[in-house]
Amino acid sequence: MKLTVNGIEQEIESAPLTSLLDVLREELGITSPKAGCEQGGCGTCTVLVDGEPRRSCLVPAAAVDGHEIVTVEGLGTPDHLAPVQQAFVHHYGMQCGFCTPGFLLAAHAYIEGGGTDDPKAISHALAGHFCRCTGYVKIVNAVAAAARGDGFDLTTTVGTPTTTFATGGVE
Amino acid sequence: MKAVGARLPRYDGIAHVTGRSTFVDDVRIPGTLWAKALRSPVHHADITRLDTSRAETMSGVHAVVTWQDVPLLMYGHLSALGIPEDEPLLAKDDVRYKGQPIAVVAAQDEETALAAVGAIEVEYAEKPALFDVRLAADPDAPIVHQWGNWYTHFEAEMDHRQIRKGDIDWAFDNADVIVQGVYRPAAIEHCPVETQVCQVVPEADGRLTIYTCTQALYFSMGVVAAHLQVPLNKLKLVGGTVGGGFGGKVDTASETMTALLAMKAGRPVKWRWTREEELLCSSTRAPWHMELADAVTNDGWILGRKMLTLHDSGAYARFSPYGVTKHSFHHTGAYTIPNLHFDGYVVFTNRVPTTAMRGFGVTSISFAVETHMSRVADVLAMDPLEIRLKNANRIGDTSPNGVVYTDPSTVPTIQAIAEATGHELSADYRTMTRDPRGGEWLPEHLVAQVGNPEEGH
Repeated sequence: MKLTVNGIEQEIESAPLTSLLDVLREELGITSPKAGCEQGGCGTCTVLVDGEPRRSCLVPAAAVDGHEIVTVEGLGTPDHLAPVQQAFVHHYGMQCGFCTPGFLLAAHAYIEGGGTDDPKAISHALAGHFCRCTGYVKIVNAVAAAARGDGFDLTTTVGTPTTTFATGGVE
Repeated sequence: MKAVGARLPRYDGIAHVTGRSTFVDDVRIPGTLWAKALRSPVHHADITRLDTSRAETMSGVHAVVTWQDVPLLMYGHLSALGIPEDEPLLAKDDVRYKGQPIAVVAAQDEETALAAVGAIEVEYAEKPALFDVRLAADPDAPIVHQWGNWYTHFEAEMDHRQIRKGDIDWAFDNADVIVQGVYRPAAIEHCPVETQVCQVVPEADGRLTIYTCTQALYFSMGVVAAHLQVPLNKLKLVGGTVGGGFGGKVDTASETMTALLAMKAGRPVKWRWTREEELLCSSTRAPWHMELADAVTNDGWILGRKMLTLHDSGAYARFSPYGVTKHSFHHTGAYTIPNLHFDGYVVFTNRVPTTAMRGFGVTSISFAVETHMSRVADVLAMDPLEIRLKNANRIGDTSPNGVVYTDPSTVPTIQAIAEATGHELSADYRTMTRDPRGGEWLPEHLVAQVGNPEEGH
């Protein structure tokens, strides 16, 4: 079997029914897709197969023989982040980071497919991705900002203190 | 305070979005074996037979560990606070919750490890099981724990956490109305997207490197060292990247058993719980049973509170005595009630042991107190925010355990809620401050409880 992963063609030795998740993680050492539930329920193993988000834990390697796979390692590097990666950093669209790869790829596919900053459409596109830390609001904001094409400066502190404290207890 | 209110970039943000954050499961160590656990299929039983010999001789199996391999089988999570041990690392004579680990195996791959678990022979004599914290406290309930059905080791060997403040009989004798309520929040699973996962590497110098998803690195180091009976300098714990915890990853649930397997096999071992294990066998937030009775005047003062709390600790104590202690300190919520009679019990059932979760012991009481405040307002036909402001903590008021409040935020918080939701407050309550009590806000029954905020705690 052959896979093109993040632009590089790879010869695959795993058995044909090995999950794409295990091929990526265990054979190729690409660890951004996570084993969250291994039942297709949580979304954190999501990768792009020919540009479409797929749960890699449910995809047998043989089913994607010859296809093109993208993980977040292929979306962008620290020096050249994709817009959706920049947006997640700027808008704090993550805390622990474990679900983030799946969200990023689903969001990337949504925006590439012409998705807008409409929160309902974004929520629909991200349905089935579970995040236990953020409460989703910041993730949706991040995707909306990327969909609008907002620019981000990630190198410095952003803004100045604006919060006022009701008790006056903080100085 | 340059950081407060400012937007600082996350220190781990770039790593998270580029897939470069190394979680425990991402650590690559050649030759790593897979671990799997034999877990109790029943809620409560004596173990009448345990035979691992067939599993041990299977091809590809490198280690099988049971209670006999643990240097110190029983170790209390909070032994540092004087809370004695009650839970074996691996079940010995009996099992007390479904999913309790009995044996762990390390094998060349996941399939072989699962087959080895299936080859362990074990027999159970089932016993009655308890799942409801209230029923577990009944005098004729079957006994499910060696200490009886509730924890008996609070200070001075008291069997519950108790608070007595003021004169509770005076409060109930002088009340216009008694308002009662029972509140029973259910268990909640933390459900981190990263399940429990641990990797242990036995190093050539005799030390163990332990990659752990723990939320409490140094705490877990102490727990592992105690069970293994080794000095701390034999352990190198690598942590810090936790795929969600919320309190569920303070129990050191996988590290010690993985370490024992790695030592016995002489090979690196990884144990990654399945989602099913995480949901069925990992600790949860506790279910609680809380009974409140407030002595109330017709104009909305709460003169006194009687309260009984039954905290479901699950099958073992773990951190629950600490949780109930915090709970007791907070049992008046954000409000000042001068006369108190509180009893809190840590009750054992056959549920999975319960543990910390976001506001350990305090979220339960907040739920009960806030629901009860609205119930009191309903009974008196008072505005639900005004009754909260009337009884709100003020500077100089004292908590149930005698701490003088110096910075209470109840008054401005409730006023802000009223403003944000368009809730009309009468002039008295709109202009109220959190300053020390005086005038109409210092009725006779609140005089004695007032402390000196200059002296603080």
